[in-house]
Amino acid sequence: MTKAESTSQPTWTKGEVLAFRFAFIYFLIQAVPLSGRFYYDLLTIDWGASYYRDLFRLSHYAPHFFGPTDTFADWAVVALISAVGTVIWTIRDTKRTDYTALQYWLRVVLRYRLAIGVIAYGFIKLFPLQDPLPSISNLNTPYGDFTAWKLFSLSLGIVPSYESFLGLVETLGGLLLLNRKTTAIGTLVVIPFLGNIFVSNLAYEGGEYVYSFLLITFALFLFAFDAIRLFRLVSLEQPTLPNRFRPVFSEQWQRYGRLALKSAFIFFAVVVYGYKTYAAYKTGPYQFPQSPGLAGAAGLYDVAEFSVAGKAIPYANTDPVRWQDVVFETWNTISIRSNRPVKLVTDNTEQMYTADADRTYELAGSASRHYYSYQVDSVQHVLTLKNRNPNYPNETLTLHYERLGATGIVLSGRNENRDSVYAVLNRLDKKYLLNEAAKAGRRGTLKL
Amino acid sequence: MAFPNINPERLDLGLVSPEELAEANPVNRAFDTANARAQSKPLPTEKSNRHQNWTTGQKISFRIAFLFFIAISLPTGASWYKNVFSLDWLHLHYRDLYDVARFQPNILGRAKWWPAWMGYGEWVFILLVAAGLGLVWTAVVRWRKTEPRNYNLLYYWLRVVVRYRAGIGIIGFGFTKLMPTQLPYPSLGLLNTNFGDLTAQKIYWLSIGIVPWYEVFAGVVEVLAGALLFFRATTFWGAVLLFGALADIVYVNLAYDGGVHGYSSYFVLLAGFLLVYYVRDLYNLLIRERLTVPVHFYPTFRGWQQVARIGLKSATIGIFLVLLFWIQYLNFRYDPYKQPAQKGVRELRGNYQVSEFRVNNKVIPYTPLDSIRWQQATFENWSTLTFKVNRAVPLDLSNGGGSPMRDINRTFELTGVAGGQRVFYYDADSVNHVLYLQDKYRSFDGRRGEGGEGEGSPSPKRNKEKTRSKGNPTDNWIPTTAQARIGPEDAKIEAIARTTRRTKGIQSEARQEDGKRKRMILHYQTTDGSHVVLTGIDENKDSIRVVLDRINRPYALSESTLNAGTY
Repeated sequence: MTKAESTSQPTWTKGEVLAFRFAFIYFLIQAVPLSGRFYYDLLTIDWGASYYRDLFRLSHYAPHFFGPTDTFADWAVVALISAVGTVIWTIRDTKRTDYTALQYWLRVVLRYRLAIGVIAYGFIKLFPLQDPLPSISNLNTPYGDFTAWKLFSLSLGIVPSYESFLGLVETLGGLLLLNRKTTAIGTLVVIPFLGNIFVSNLAYEGGEYVYSFLLITFALFLFAFDAIRLFRLVSLEQPTLPNRFRPVFSEQWQRYGRLALKSAFIFFAVVVYGYKTYAAYKTGPYQFPQSPGLAGAAGLYDVAEFSVAGKAIPYANTDPVRWQDVVFETWNTISIRSNRPVKLVTDNTEQMYTADADRTYELAGSASRHYYSYQVDSVQHVLTLKNRNPNYPNETLTLHYERLGATGIVLSGRNENRDSVYAVLNRLDKKYLLNEAAKAGRRGTLKL
Repeated sequence: MAFPNINPERLDLGLVSPEELAEANPVNRAFDTANARAQSKPLPTEKSNRHQNWTTGQKISFRIAFLFFIAISLPTGASWYKNVFSLDWLHLHYRDLYDVARFQPNILGRAKWWPAWMGYGEWVFILLVAAGLGLVWTAVVRWRKTEPRNYNLLYYWLRVVVRYRAGIGIIGFGFTKLMPTQLPYPSLGLLNTNFGDLTAQKIYWLSIGIVPWYEVFAGVVEVLAGALLFFRATTFWGAVLLFGALADIVYVNLAYDGGVHGYSSYFVLLAGFLLVYYVRDLYNLLIRERLTVPVHFYPTFRGWQQVARIGLKSATIGIFLVLLFWIQYLNFRYDPYKQPAQKGVRELRGNYQVSEFRVNNKVIPYTPLDSIRWQQATFENWSTLTFKVNRAVPLDLSNGGGSPMRDINRTFELTGVAGGQRVFYYDADSVNHVLYLQDKYRSFDGRRGEGGEGEGSPSPKRNKEKTRSKGNPTDNWIPTTAQARIGPEDAKIEAIARTTRRTKGIQSEARQEDGKRKRMILHYQTTDGSHVVLTGIDENKDSIRVVLDRINRPYALSESTLNAGTY
């Protein structure tokens, strides 16, 4: 077994001993996966392109007692278990006066748990995957028609270099946690970072405030170990003792075992994960579908003519049926702006889906446009549209298409109500201030 | 090997024996003194060998750093001093104190002969000058053979200057977020603008503006960082916070082209300088895991010195934490500086569909491609009419900042926005139901973008330059009787929020009007605002008739729960 050198540590007070017993059980349950499902997933992890998705999902582990979403109620249950455990432990173990060694090992567990937590997010920002550049549909949606959470993501998405910068800071913070001596500095980086994420989740109505707060509790526990020391040194300006405890690995297998475990963690969570996220960045972000759209059709279209059931409807902002404009994305999505209300998809947690159908980022938290995925029958010139919004499961349109020159498309067929529909689309030469201003510069002049 | 039982408690109590100390690792440079300190009472000022001699290299770098940081931490422009001495303390505007807190190195001014290097050229220049003078200083000291053993006292005072400079500066900024006015919640006109029709900079500012409570949080962080810098014991924590928060803001400004990367970098530099002081001790404690005895020097103050110290410190805290909080609150409540302060016509508020549009009595049907017809119209809570027309217009790409006093010059709802959005300020004659509208856009002859948050202290010279038509405030396009009913702008906010700066600013901004703005005079006719008929003359001198019907326009974005202004 390992033996600890802790002779210089003063014995703990009774309160400290009690608090530690509670903290030990509490944090161990929060940090160490206890479900079989986790280990099953771990052992069947995909070594291909989906590796980073699997690892990302695994990194999210938190104990659940009431369904799959993170809630503070789960924490309450863990705290209850810990309280009971503390009582039993206190009754059965009356001799121990300090848990320096155990505290060290708890810190090891939390350091690695926290590190994987932030590194998992760090890399998908470092290689800007998490918040992609806005789609054409996103660019043509009024600002107020997005939810706060979507706006947060879009705002970050327009500046990939800043997203990378955030990812770099987060990853570095995680890496600093992997060494005992740099842990305090790592927590100084990670705590403000996670604090900001937590407050952002609250403010922007994001869905990960419980999880980000869980990581904060880990970071605070780790920081608490050095906090008094630091306070003494920089605030009281008094002589300060360092952390004196370090485990002694007397057996060779212990030394090799430690080295192997640490190397394995770095290899799987940093090297392979980093490489796979980079590969994903190179092959296309996971937020948007990957199937290509109708060749050469991408863009924003004015709906010059429109009729339903043979009856022409002139331009109108308020008509619930008439299409106002249509976007063809480079992938197989068509979005149609009309005054028919949209039941919002309110996904506000980070999900990485493989199947195109599940990749709802483009429509999540976004009103005023209906999004359809489509299949092209290039022989019959038919597009089969399916509403991508899960709130409209059976909505399909079958539209014959005819290309008019390079910029015109005529669609005719059946709409979602099986009525005949006819629309003449003209591609607009739309210039986006977002791009034009970047060229002109803040002090430039621009007419648009 | 076992470690001797040396802990701070035992050291302080003098319980550590010399044998134990000898057994310990060769711990620290000042171990003997630590022992001495442990065995005697801590001395208030220590002139012993605790304060080690500085190496030649350290002394030379210190001399350079001293000159450099003094030069960038103290205001060098005359206008700053003029501002300080001309403040009306009884009717203080938040911007008065903000301008006191808001200056950055400016010795070169707008010199053309020195490279700008994204605004960092000034720093390089000052550093080179400081290096030159630092070497001269070194030479003089050598020549006179009066080399001091160390510069602990001077280092202490340099840190005091930098701490207060950084603290005051960041608090000046922090309060505009703590009372969320710096990044306002988007106006209806902005909510109706397509995402792609905004500049990156606008998108960033709006992304904070939509979550006022987050903005408050950011303000609390900045003010807290500043407040912590006012005390020696908390300087480390304040500097860490400042360094982290402002490094992020620097990157944000570079990425989104926000325009204040220079000023935010300034705080990163100051915070970095304050942190250097701790690096050696922290490295020793955390990385080397050795007992660390900090070598800290500070002077003792007696008698009048102590009185002066407490007095100055209290004044700083009183002015920049207490007083600034209060006047910033007034600004938030009654005169939010990026948002117009006057109330708009009450019944005309909301989103409108343009049901009918006639020019010179000819109906123009709706099409999104028409270049004359209004497509949608919005009356804000304040005195602004926004409408959308599919016609290219020159844009204002600045950040809509600065501290304009007149509502017509508060352009945040207009800057960085395209998509055919037109924004008009109006004066309402509510008796005759006439709106006198003026385009909020104004061409600034290439000086665009300088009126932002990045603006330094107000320069009287520049104000004079801008005054083009002195003595001819406005041509009388608004009839005198209507003007009398509309009344002066200054008086239209709560008396408690009126300030000398506002009164003067409104007069001087009015003088700068050159009569070139586009104008409309529109009579409005409505009962409760659900149906509005506007008739009159538009900016092209054509007669128009516009029928507006209010629409219920639900937004996916949550409403603001913390609103600036009183309307």
